Amino acid sequence: MISFELTDEQKLAQSMVRDMALTALRPAARDADDREAIPSSILDEIWSTGIVQSQADADQGARSATLNAILLEELAVADASFAIAAAAPIGFLSAIATQGSPAQKKNLLPLFAGDKYRCAAVAIMEPDFGFDVSTIRTTATKTRDGYRLSGIKGLVPLAGQCSHFLVVAQCDGASEAFIVDRDIRGVTVGEKKPNVGLRALAMATVSFKDVDLKPAARLGEGAGCDVQRIVDSARTALSAIMIGTSRAVMEFVMPYTKERVVHGDALAKKQTIAFRLADMRIETDAMRWMTWKAASILEQGGDATRQAQLAYTYAGEQAMWIADEGVQMLGGHGYLRDNPVEMWYRDTRTVSVLEGAIGV
Amino acid sequence: MIDFELTTADEKILNSAHEQAIIGRRYARYYDKHEDELTPAEFPEAANLPNPTRLAEEGVSGSSGSRILHSLVMLETYWGGLALHRSKWGLGNTVLKTVATPEQFEKWKNHTIAIAITEPGAGSDPANIRTTATFDRETGEWVINGEKIFISQAQSADAAMVLSRFIAPDGSRGMTTFLVEKGTPGFTVGPQLKKLGIRSHDTCNLLFENCRIPEFNHIKGDFKSTMSVFNDSRPMVGAMALGVARAALDFTREKFAERGIEISYRGGLRSRSAVVDRFIRLEAIYEAALLTVLRSKWLEQQDVPPKVEASIAKAAGGKAARKITQGCVELLGPEALSEDHPLDRCFRDGRIFDIYEGAGEIQRLIIARSILGYTGRDLR
Repeated sequence: MISFELTDEQKLAQSMVRDMALTALRPAARDADDREAIPSSILDEIWSTGIVQSQADADQGARSATLNAILLEELAVADASFAIAAAAPIGFLSAIATQGSPAQKKNLLPLFAGDKYRCAAVAIMEPDFGFDVSTIRTTATKTRDGYRLSGIKGLVPLAGQCSHFLVVAQCDGASEAFIVDRDIRGVTVGEKKPNVGLRALAMATVSFKDVDLKPAARLGEGAGCDVQRIVDSARTALSAIMIGTSRAVMEFVMPYTKERVVHGDALAKKQTIAFRLADMRIETDAMRWMTWKAASILEQGGDATRQAQLAYTYAGEQAMWIADEGVQMLGGHGYLRDNPVEMWYRDTRTVSVLEGAIGV
Repeated sequence: MIDFELTTADEKILNSAHEQAIIGRRYARYYDKHEDELTPAEFPEAANLPNPTRLAEEGVSGSSGSRILHSLVMLETYWGGLALHRSKWGLGNTVLKTVATPEQFEKWKNHTIAIAITEPGAGSDPANIRTTATFDRETGEWVINGEKIFISQAQSADAAMVLSRFIAPDGSRGMTTFLVEKGTPGFTVGPQLKKLGIRSHDTCNLLFENCRIPEFNHIKGDFKSTMSVFNDSRPMVGAMALGVARAALDFTREKFAERGIEISYRGGLRSRSAVVDRFIRLEAIYEAALLTVLRSKWLEQQDVPPKVEASIAKAAGGKAARKITQGCVELLGPEALSEDHPLDRCFRDGRIFDIYEGAGEIQRLIIARSILGYTGRDLR
């Protein structure tokens, strides 16, 4: 039955995270971008929402992809990097929770139920200009004792803090995912590689050189997994974050354009500006419903591939347009690092080209 | 709980609407070519078929709600391009229902009443209308003079609800509505307008020359109540636009499949051709607009009258129909131009939705005023 109704629990969680995002997280965003690191106090704030731990809950009813999408939007209004700090372990845990074997769930999920921030991420992207999720180069070859993993993964969020990676590799002509402990032989977490945006995430390259894995490392073990589902979940999460950055821009430029006087009148009273603000509102709404739809299909266990692709493609286009217009409406001030819009502009370009890495 | 699945009851009605749309499509080209002919009140094929619009309006148990379902039925109808059952409801009926006295309502409740607002010098700015009614003390009648243009259902309606300036016997002035029945001396309906598309859509100009009507026909809707009829209709226009847009997408997908072009949603941008990527982006525009329509309709069902959401749905639907129909013709190339296929009609029909019932620019004014906290005077 078509419904946009949030449950009381969802409304409560949304308003709690919305408040925290603006009071505790937003003020820390610029500094984290400058320092290329998220302070542990901020990670603990994010952890205190319980959004990550609920993925590890033995009661699978506690996991809700829709609620995750709602909350990631709110976190991203404060800062996209902070939202991804939550979405990275969520992506890892939701893959384990939905596609892991009973033993994998039993061994891994409780590790993330504690009261301190803990990270893990899905490693799909590779440092190659031709990269596409459909043409993964990392390989896992069958050995007598399991698998041997070789390849390089790029743009792994908070790689330095991850205890595990879920590495997507080609195995016998199909994509499979492998749970890799960061401390095993052959895994090298590289230095952080500064990017144009999401700098606070200290994204890094992680290389896997002849890493020997047990059969139990393969997600779903003997049954394997559906990597597309991990991709769908990531695209939905990225869309949710792009709604948040778009809202951040929109909510920042509206008061600015009302105050800024040009040729005797407020900028916002000129149709060319007002109409673009109206379009920002139209598109953030549309992005949100598309994201919710993809998330709700995922939550119900359906095939969300098409919906996630549409949500992600649309959000990528619209969010970039909104961030671009945000910079434009502030003019020279928009280009200065005194204002956050230039950061949102960089972050948006970054989020909208990512694949994998996170999830709902 | 957030959910986007249609129910079995929804699907049953929508399947029936789609089957009728397939029949409607067979006639769509004929009426596209014969714009002076009115479509029948009911096509022969429809005689034994339920009217899905009426079913949706009446409410179906187990459905997603009558407002949502009604909009989706409308979308199916426009997918076909022609309704098998001509609508007996005009926006003038909405004015009658909301502002008429019980006696007035009783008299005209079974009439189809077109709404007449737009004039040659007043389209997007209806406050600028010049049609004027003066009161004749001797006969107790109102005398209307003026011209109304682009009037939907002009020929098929039984009456028109005319928004007019008035000069009352006490000299007071303002805007109000009058119901003018067909056949009233001084009221002339012009010929069918020659349009780019929606040629089966009954659209004429109306002329009022010393047209005398009794005081009883003064319905007393004011400017605001008259314009508010568009609150309900805006998301519906979005749904209509999306019906045409989906017809274009479906046709394109079908022709792609015949040529062996597969639309895969699995990979990323670098895994697909430019043509497939363009198609996916057009589909995304469709999906985006459809969800804004459903959102607006869902709010109506919660008894939360949508404000900006109705305008968002109209603006998104109108833009989607433009982009999608233009894009599909380009994607399929020269053969898509031919009248042998439905796409040329979709391309022409699809251009109206961002113009009528409040152009996209008017929707953006409404949205911008609302989000910025501006009045109509602040932001014009």
